[in-house]
Amino acid sequence: MSTTTTRGLLEVSGLSKAFGGVHAVDDFSFAAKPGEIVGIIGPNGAGKTTVFNLVTGVYAADRGSVLLDGVSLCGRRQDQIAREGIGRTFQNIRLFKGLNVLENVMTASDPTAPYGFFSAILSLPAKRGSDRQEAKKGREYLSLVGLSGLEDARPESLPYGMQRKLELARALAIGPKVILLDEPAAGLNPSEVREFIDLVQRLHERFNFTIVFIEHRMEVVMNLSHKLFVLSFGKLLASGEPLEVRHNPEVIEAYIGEED
Amino acid sequence: MDYIYSILTLTGITMIGVMGTYMVTGLTGQFSFGQAAFMAVGGYVSAMLALKYGVPFALAALIGSAAAALSGLLVGMPTVRLRRDYISLVTFGFGEAIISVLNNSAQLTGGAEGLVGIPKRVDLPLVMASVVVCLFLVACYKNSKYGRQCLALRTDELAARSMGIDVNRLKLVTFLFASAITGYAGVLYAFYAQYLEPGYFNWTVSAEWLIIVFVGGINSLTGAMVSAVILTSLPEFLRFASAWRIIIYCIIVLLIINFRPNGIFGDWEISRLWKKKTTVKGGQA
Repeated sequence: MSTTTTRGLLEVSGLSKAFGGVHAVDDFSFAAKPGEIVGIIGPNGAGKTTVFNLVTGVYAADRGSVLLDGVSLCGRRQDQIAREGIGRTFQNIRLFKGLNVLENVMTASDPTAPYGFFSAILSLPAKRGSDRQEAKKGREYLSLVGLSGLEDARPESLPYGMQRKLELARALAIGPKVILLDEPAAGLNPSEVREFIDLVQRLHERFNFTIVFIEHRMEVVMNLSHKLFVLSFGKLLASGEPLEVRHNPEVIEAYIGEED
Repeated sequence: MDYIYSILTLTGITMIGVMGTYMVTGLTGQFSFGQAAFMAVGGYVSAMLALKYGVPFALAALIGSAAAALSGLLVGMPTVRLRRDYISLVTFGFGEAIISVLNNSAQLTGGAEGLVGIPKRVDLPLVMASVVVCLFLVACYKNSKYGRQCLALRTDELAARSMGIDVNRLKLVTFLFASAITGYAGVLYAFYAQYLEPGYFNWTVSAEWLIIVFVGGINSLTGAMVSAVILTSLPEFLRFASAWRIIIYCIIVLLIINFRPNGIFGDWEISRLWKKKTTVKGGQA
């Protein structure tokens, strides 16, 4: 089932972004090899989400570069970057309320669905075939994250943990090379967190994509990541293997020390 | 009988116009305060072609709708980048500008006195058939990848972009399609009423269409159509109360907006009645 890919090499170097006088991200560099799971941690307000927003093109970086498989993403629009293969989820869940669960997942494959305007308004066979294909794919993604049978439900009616899974299914549906998860375990209870770690590991085994995630829960960070980058006040504080970072005195002082 | 016939015809034409507002406001969440101006473009262009160059109705209708779509392109190109509240200002300005142009180019359009002598080519059966065809096209659009992406960007543009949705392009395509449909409503009106005057297409008409969409249910094409029928014919049924009818109309609209803020139908669509079975079956598979 799993395919070994050489795709999904994400290289970020010298990334900087200031909002007014605040240097939210300051000369930050990190890299993720194809198929690697990379964690970004840091105290609140360290600029972690801003890094995601810069990589996905929500904001334009003041300086620095983002390369996906060697191709620069600088100056690209947010939707172009997504179609290049960077999927993401959000810290505060952002599902589409006007659509049901299955349609939420289908919106991720809609931008590349192979039919045009006239096929759409006349409901030609090309459109119906493509829609059926998309729905089938969408159901597969839903069953992968364990949401089978909820296709017709309204996303806002689902419990919080399921909304997180739906957001994950939607990000999978764009067929990403790299997937960015912004505090994916926030708001989950301990058993949901363990389930979530299993789910991410299962998906990673199956699709072998590169994962970059932001997280505060040490359980998730230690179990999932191959490599860790610590961000503090917009700057890189430390990086390396999870265990080695965990015992880095600077990191303990800046961040982990508060937790233990 | 003639009276009922004319109410039905005008209701049908309003339904087609409201479809345009539904697409812009209901699907993409933009407020078009100048939708009726596209009706004016469709109506005037087709009527002038028929009057001055003897163009046959079918061709004039096609060119009229295309002209409305073209003016939609001119307004849409700069506006899709704007924030939602500014879009209503720009479309409002565009609508009033069109009225002003029509009023001030009297040699061409007859100005405020109106354009007279348009041949009668439209009757009730044609309007009803047009309603059915346009409704089919719009419903298919809503039910396609275009409609899904529109509803996605309406709730959350940032998340929509991160799914790879080209938000600006989609808004523009929807705006053009809506303009063409509304323009066609103008064609039907011109060749039914045989008379056009700029005042018929001013912003109050656009505002009325917005009210119709909101009352019906912002997310429901079914709702927009039902409410178009009710709110267009209601003033006629209230005619016995002459002086009071506008007040009664307003009270009914206010009550609905207050007690059903999502409109009468919310996001319910009549197609759910027969779609239910297929999705349930799919869900079990």
